[in-house]
Amino acid sequence: MRNYETFSTTADTGIRFRGRGHAELYANALRGLNLLLFGRNPRLAKQKGTAIPFRFRGDGPENVLVNLLAAAVALAGQEGRQVTAADIRRADGRRLDALLLTAPCPRLPRIDVKAVTYHDLRVREKNGVLRAAVVLDV
Amino acid sequence: MSRAIEQFVEVAPCRWRLGKAADRAMAADAEVFATREILRQALDDGAIEQVVNVACLPGLAGSSLAMPDIHHGYGFCIGGVAAFPADGGIVLPGGVGYDINCGVRLLASSIPVEEFAAVADAVGHALLARIPSGLNARGLRPLNKKEFQRLVAGGVGEVARRFGSDPGDMEFIESGGCLPFDAPGALGPRACERGAAQLGSLGSGNHFIEVQAVEEVFDPAIARVFGLEPGRVAVMIHTGSRGFGHQVASDYIETFRRRNLARLKLRDPQLVHAAIASSEGRNYLQALNAASNFAWANRQLIQEEAVAVLEEALAMGRGQLGLRLVYDQAHNIAKFERHAAAGGEADLLVHRKGATRAFAPGHPDLPERYRSSGQPVIIPGSMGSSSFVLRGTASSAGTFFSSAHGAGRRLSRHQAIKLSAGEDVSARLRAKGVLVFSLSSQGLREEIPEAYKDVDEVVAATVAAGISEKVARLRPLLVVKG
Repeated sequence: MRNYETFSTTADTGIRFRGRGHAELYANALRGLNLLLFGRNPRLAKQKGTAIPFRFRGDGPENVLVNLLAAAVALAGQEGRQVTAADIRRADGRRLDALLLTAPCPRLPRIDVKAVTYHDLRVREKNGVLRAAVVLDV
Repeated sequence: MSRAIEQFVEVAPCRWRLGKAADRAMAADAEVFATREILRQALDDGAIEQVVNVACLPGLAGSSLAMPDIHHGYGFCIGGVAAFPADGGIVLPGGVGYDINCGVRLLASSIPVEEFAAVADAVGHALLARIPSGLNARGLRPLNKKEFQRLVAGGVGEVARRFGSDPGDMEFIESGGCLPFDAPGALGPRACERGAAQLGSLGSGNHFIEVQAVEEVFDPAIARVFGLEPGRVAVMIHTGSRGFGHQVASDYIETFRRRNLARLKLRDPQLVHAAIASSEGRNYLQALNAASNFAWANRQLIQEEAVAVLEEALAMGRGQLGLRLVYDQAHNIAKFERHAAAGGEADLLVHRKGATRAFAPGHPDLPERYRSSGQPVIIPGSMGSSSFVLRGTASSAGTFFSSAHGAGRRLSRHQAIKLSAGEDVSARLRAKGVLVFSLSSQGLREEIPEAYKDVDEVVAATVAAGISEKVARLRPLLVVKG
């Protein structure tokens, strides 16, 4: 498995990602979403853009992931902005405090993500690597 | 947990029961209305386990039910029906789905198929050009905040008042196209923002506008009551509450999780729920009603535009074209209904997800015109295959008067694209006599007929199980896909 990739279910689609620790897991979730929406990721290190704070405290990493991805989907769908990078200040299994760096979407999203679901979503750890898969309602 | 088909008892033709003794956590039986083959597929794809999980929920009235188009959904299967007591029961957003009041409406007409054929191409182009569809489409009628609040409170009545659509249509819309809503505070800002921009838009995926021919009539007397005449044109519209409904569902799944998840013992967190009487339960039901009203208003506005296109193409008015609304029905909704229960009647909150209400003849909530025929039940097929009109029957009391809603996907979008690689889908369907119009060639390939199950098998099982009776078959002439 790559650090992030897309997959299909019968009715919908999703992204799979992994990371050594929660910060990397959350960052790779955003990269996976970019791959799904726009076909590729921007060159993160060189991106400049508007920073939007994202602070969330929830009941677990699944809860953080759904809310993070839902925020990124809303930015793309409603404001035409792509999250190009995340400056993560604090991340653990229950919270994320980050600045989402955004830029105008390079093109219209390839797919209409209507909702980010908890379907079969469970963050699992193996050999120090966290893995998860999120199904998106399209 | 894996289950075997042998654990089910066929208690009546196409009615399979898994007794609650099969699983210690089950509080009620599970019942699936299906052929043996459909049941086998549902076991394979995990949908049956979802029916069982619903049977484990507290306070379920009757059994956890699944209609013949059962397939795997988020937590709660598509084709699932679950009812809970209005007094003391629970409400679960997963039992409605994300696209609140996704539904279908059907218009009958007196337009001869041959007459339509002469203008079909122009009609298809006009529908595609005039009715917003596809990704991020802005609606025909973007609203400001105040207008949006009035719209979600008034539903189709507000469309009639503000945009001049025929108020007579309301009689032929489930719940008159309006459920009670008087709690603007129950709606989050993101939901309102998404909704206000999208009123009057088709969306993408499996949503469509189809012009069809009434090809075959199985029950001429009932077809006449529904206004369906062989050789005449009909118009079908399939869409829902767009981003508004999805945001309402997402917002309340979060709220329910925050308030209740930790203390609920759930096999699947997508089944998170709240007491109907709790503040979050009451607010969700208000928001659900608002999204339902939005969806009915959305289909009404799309209908108005489609009717205008036909009027212009055929140079005749709606009355001359005999265009009348047969029915508009929701297939993702939860509503309070009165049903027979042990010792009399009970008020229940009936959740239908990918399932259609199908009231029997005589039901007081049916319009006068359908009081003796039963409710029209519209079951769309896939692009290029037939759709069906059925009617509700007295023998469907065991499903809380519910029926199937469609064919259901068989292939993932990726598989469908792969299968149709190098193929001109539009040309293939044109050769079969179906004109297809879409802004997205990829979207079209995702929706190839092979991507869906056989709707004929679903309808056959529905009839065999006695939960609806066939009235007419409709053949597609023209499809506009989002």
